[in-house]
Amino acid sequence: MRLIWNQGAGFSFRPEEFHGRAEELSTLLRVCQEGRSGVGASVMIYGPPNVGKTSLLLKLKHDLQSLPEGTASPRPFPFYFSFSKILSHPLALSQHFLQEFLWQVLIFLGDSPPAAFDAEAMCERLGSYGLTDCREFLLAHRSFSERGDGLSALVSAVSFPFTTGRDVFYPVFLFDDFQYTSKLQGIPDGAILSILRPYIKSGHFPMVISGSSPGHVTSSLKREGLFGTFQLVEIGGLSPAASETLWASLFERRKIRMPVPIQARAAARLGHVPIYLRMFAEEVSFRSAEVADEIGFENLYALSITEGQLNRYWREFFENSFPDRLDRARAVKFLKRVVCDRFPLDTFEGALSLLGTSSEDGGRILSALEFKGLVKSDFEQIRFADDPVLADFLYWAFERGVAGTSSSQVAAALVQAKLSRAASEPAEAERGKWIATAKELMRRWDCREVPLLLFRFGGFRERFVGKGLLEVVIGMEKEPQKIRLPKISSVSTGYRTRRGGPRFDFDMVAYGFLDAEFSEENLVIWAVDVSTEKTLAAMAVEHFENRCRLLCLEKGLHAPQLRKWILFEGGIDPAALELAARYDIFLTHRSQMRIFLNLFGMEEIDLQAEDRKPAEAPPGAEPLEFELVLPMKADTEVVAARVAEEVASYASLDKDAVDRIKMALIEACINAFEHSGAESGKVRLRYVLSPEKIELFVQDEGKGFRGGRTEESRRNRGWGLKLIRELVDDVEIMTGDKGTIVRMVKYLDSGMEKEGAGSPGPEESPR
Amino acid sequence: MSYLNVRTRQAEGALVVYIDGYLNSLLGEEVERVVQETLDSGMRNFLLNFEGTRLINSIGISIVIDIVEKIMERNGMLAFCALSRINRELFQITGVARYVRVFEREEEALGYFGTSA
Repeated sequence: MRLIWNQGAGFSFRPEEFHGRAEELSTLLRVCQEGRSGVGASVMIYGPPNVGKTSLLLKLKHDLQSLPEGTASPRPFPFYFSFSKILSHPLALSQHFLQEFLWQVLIFLGDSPPAAFDAEAMCERLGSYGLTDCREFLLAHRSFSERGDGLSALVSAVSFPFTTGRDVFYPVFLFDDFQYTSKLQGIPDGAILSILRPYIKSGHFPMVISGSSPGHVTSSLKREGLFGTFQLVEIGGLSPAASETLWASLFERRKIRMPVPIQARAAARLGHVPIYLRMFAEEVSFRSAEVADEIGFENLYALSITEGQLNRYWREFFENSFPDRLDRARAVKFLKRVVCDRFPLDTFEGALSLLGTSSEDGGRILSALEFKGLVKSDFEQIRFADDPVLADFLYWAFERGVAGTSSSQVAAALVQAKLSRAASEPAEAERGKWIATAKELMRRWDCREVPLLLFRFGGFRERFVGKGLLEVVIGMEKEPQKIRLPKISSVSTGYRTRRGGPRFDFDMVAYGFLDAEFSEENLVIWAVDVSTEKTLAAMAVEHFENRCRLLCLEKGLHAPQLRKWILFEGGIDPAALELAARYDIFLTHRSQMRIFLNLFGMEEIDLQAEDRKPAEAPPGAEPLEFELVLPMKADTEVVAARVAEEVASYASLDKDAVDRIKMALIEACINAFEHSGAESGKVRLRYVLSPEKIELFVQDEGKGFRGGRTEESRRNRGWGLKLIRELVDDVEIMTGDKGTIVRMVKYLDSGMEKEGAGSPGPEESPR
Repeated sequence: MSYLNVRTRQAEGALVVYIDGYLNSLLGEEVERVVQETLDSGMRNFLLNFEGTRLINSIGISIVIDIVEKIMERNGMLAFCALSRINRELFQITGVARYVRVFEREEEALGYFGTSA
């Protein structure tokens, strides 16, 4: 499966086949570009095997390489390196690392790909770009190699990239399959991280570390005191929309037809995991099958699981992970219980006893599973991959191997089970979405300060009831009481304070550290419940408080270290409100959440009955529209500018363009304030974003631009309109009975024309 | 958002005025007042530091022009420093840049006052 050389992986990656993950990509892009100013952070990406982590890294590399021409120096140089090679000897690894770096840096600098993988020759070429430090490094490296000093050779190789670049570029490290660094011969676990430590701390060298075994890497990070500086990003299946786009392009290429409603269902059944989608498409085309309806799909799926592509994929996976037959059988049997039958299990002790082997054998099996990313350990708790396809495969493997059922019987059982399980999920789905939003929100709050009232429903309602969103936003800025949010490191659904102790279940439990400082005193735990009931009842609050109190007791937490939070949707029982205030529980209503989301630059994941259009979709064919009504109060134009910033972020505009748009908008608003008849006291704004331009409409109720009446205009000296004309590409002023509309257009072609904000190459049709 | 006082620092040879936040009529008038008072007390040289400036609007620019005029009337010297790209551009569009020396950093600008004094 793995390719031999890293640049080989780069060649086989087709950016136009990459879909979705816009959110993750934009986070990563930002982090990588921040290295320029020395505030770059590091990110650890983890997720089950083959879920698309490597593709994400390669897409990131591609995007970083195609930043627009005008990007200021130094430019980020994305260096992709995978540790999964069979080079477990440090000398071989260090040699390979150097060669790989030289190769990629030369190509980055615009050189033609070197003919051979010859470090000396490449070093010479690099010298011709004025980067001459290389030779010394090679010499040092060679002398270490001759002495057989693996560790020193590795140190010199890994440190080399940091000395290159100067003002031309700075390296951004994309380290793939990082868990393999623990398997180096004669090198202590975590040595690579110790070498990288000073560079990670410097903030000038953003690093993205990816791997399917986060437990191993996080414990090394903690040992090095680096855990707090890493942002964790979990990669799962695609969003439904993205996986359907992928489906469409896969089908088109293979000329497969599948009715649209089934496509959505099929994609969901495959967990929205790109590699499964690909395999299934291959399956259909290989068997020249017709998938006309649901039953057709289920039959083919069952066939694929029991004897087709999906079966082969997982069978090979288990054969590689567990060369020993007995271990393999144990692992399958064990996983079947947990993943397929959902046996509740979250500790190592529990897992060992379920395995029913000696602790030595069991430990070996569990650590192999962890290494491969099917088990994730998180503090004392362990979690298993939640993968519908794997679950079905395990069912097959178990039935075949243990119960001796034939494949066709298994297939029939699978189809039966699937067809009967279809309904009964929409209510939970709504809640799930909301939990996901809150989770994402927590992931993003990063030592920020937020008005305390946003968390306190009672106080919030008292101050802002009946006010418009904007008035609330403005009011919030003056809110003196702030709460400091931690840097959240991990979110899960339950917490166990010690091994074998009772488990505390919430909708969410997050661990974070104040001031990004990873220490026991700075640990903060957030316990969160989400209620989608019509009325939040006192009982529910009481129940929540009880669990929190027990958790506090067990864990020995000081009161401020446990933050209790209930999100709710409908009304609230007054008694519940009172209870929450007494217990110091944060209560946030959905309407407060919106302001919250706004604060963190997020859209709510889905609102069925809301006024907004689906803002999640990248700007494709349909333009995105946003509207804002400003009251005529001093400085409210700043809000218009801020919204513009948010809107522009959908189009990944560069900062200069955004600044210009903001200025132009401020001027248009000021003019509108001055010239409006002031009867309504409001100015309406409309932002329309399409792939080629951003249009801004500012409407007042006055009679158009006039000069020199009021005191303000005298001061203004008529700069407003002149500035607007300089700042945007097109200006149009329309005056009618209903007031004046200023239309401003900024064309986006100067920016990243290839970047449809995450969806690759909207103009290119997939071949 | 209230801008009650403008942060200033008496450096060698010039008064450094920090334009923090949103340079609109409110903040602009405060800055203008500070400059006027300092001029009246006999100081002649000023450095406006735009490092903390988030936004500037046209009224803010007009007030900056007033300030330029006031200082030129009294034969004083004025410099700007730490301008962001967009703000530098704004002063160019409006022509203010022709009358004022612009520096990257505060120390450089203060050096300018030192040598020209």
